Amino acid sequence: MEFYEGACELKLLQTLEGHTDRVWSLAWNPATGTADTPLVFASCSGDKTVRIWEQNPSPSSSSSSSSSSSYSSWNCKAVLEDTHTRTVRSCCWSPSGKSLAVASFDATTSIWENVGGDFECVSTLEGHENEVKSVSWNASGSLLATCGRDKSVWIWEVQPGNEYECVSVLQGHTQDVKMVMWHPTLDVLFSCSYDNTVKVWADDDDDWQCVQTLGEPNNGHSSTVWALSFNKTGDKMVTCSDDLTLKIWEMDGTSMQSADGYASWRHLCTITGYHDRTIFSVHWSSEGIIASGAADDAIRFFVEDKDGLVDGPSYKLLLKEEKAHGMDINSVQWSPGEKRLLASASDDGTVKIWELASLCTGNGY
Amino acid sequence: MEEIDDMFESSLNLEEIHFKEGYSEGYGHGLDQGKEEGQQVGLKVGFEVGEELGFYRGCINVWNSVIQVDPTRFSDRVQKMIKQMDELVAKYPVMDPENESIQGVMDGLRLKFRAVCATLNVKLEYIGYPKTAQDSKEFEF
Repeated sequence: MEFYEGACELKLLQTLEGHTDRVWSLAWNPATGTADTPLVFASCSGDKTVRIWEQNPSPSSSSSSSSSSSYSSWNCKAVLEDTHTRTVRSCCWSPSGKSLAVASFDATTSIWENVGGDFECVSTLEGHENEVKSVSWNASGSLLATCGRDKSVWIWEVQPGNEYECVSVLQGHTQDVKMVMWHPTLDVLFSCSYDNTVKVWADDDDDWQCVQTLGEPNNGHSSTVWALSFNKTGDKMVTCSDDLTLKIWEMDGTSMQSADGYASWRHLCTITGYHDRTIFSVHWSSEGIIASGAADDAIRFFVEDKDGLVDGPSYKLLLKEEKAHGMDINSVQWSPGEKRLLASASDDGTVKIWELASLCTGNGY
Repeated sequence: MEEIDDMFESSLNLEEIHFKEGYSEGYGHGLDQGKEEGQQVGLKVGFEVGEELGFYRGCINVWNSVIQVDPTRFSDRVQKMIKQMDELVAKYPVMDPENESIQGVMDGLRLKFRAVCATLNVKLEYIGYPKTAQDSKEFEF
């Protein structure tokens, strides 16, 4: 499908209310969105709860209806409450979709499982000195990473019986660590921070070290890096920052065969001039569309500019949705599955479900 | 003529004489005070470091006893971390406070300690002395 500005529109499918404070982030259950399982996602809020939302199975649930965008509504299936004593900041589903890890300002991380329709807290991880900001499962679901305001990154290993063993406590960032994210295929961990850098962590037989720091000398950001996201194949990464830019990085393929097996990352290009307020969230879809959520209440979409005249890849704006929310947008996330759905979370206390639809007729997805 | 010069010399040099006197008095006073403060700071810092290392040594000893009684009680990873802590405590250059590695060793110990506690799910915490108290005179040993 060709992407060019004006080729698409962003349709608001539904506005989900329920949280009584700002919604900080959301995460789609990766095991949902198939023919048999309706899409599910979790949202986290300043109201100290996590809400689980599920799409109602569509009435004509026979084979994929590619031409009609029949959509069915979303409902709040569960509220995970009475566990955290402060804001719930972020959450992440395990790759199997069976567990949900939840990070809270109360310095703990809780693990939940769906036990016969009810969500139960099966474990609580303590260790951070203060607010936990982000949590991420690795590709195989064997490792969990957390990070927080205490500037540290923790790596936990999942043991049988919902036991979690701390593998390592990593210091290195000099300020609040905003987000951690595992590479989509390799057991390499990425973290980004208020100290303007992105750090890459890899292990040598359980001994975890920072193997690379992407900072200003590497063409890195000049202010807080809020989030990062990988493309589908994992050879490129996009970061977003308070410095009003998005930066694209690529894995240096030539050093893949190096002795320690670790490939380094280098700056590819900077997307600048499109944002005039802090960019809090960025997510790269499986089709290559980069979505960003910013403090100016707008959602923007970028794609690679194949007609670019500069040497090296460049990116162009596909669509800008102003006033997508009434306040700052904290998180944007593409859904799994075939449909081009995006969920956004905002300080205005709502979650909105959008569909990026093609305006060209006869060109369905 | 020389006598007149001598007479005026002492009054011209008055400032310099007084300065020298004041300087040597101050210097001597500072020397004494420095020695006293140095001793107090040394005792204070030495005590703090000793107490923290002693705390970790105590924990390690108890954990090692557990491992001896029941080697399966702690996972391999935790045992390895406890062993690494043991090595770090032994390696800390106690008699050489100017050694560059002291901060690194102490940081490493603190991180390993937190990791072990988190895994064992125990709420141990080394409290130590409040870091905000800078004035060594507050601590009367």
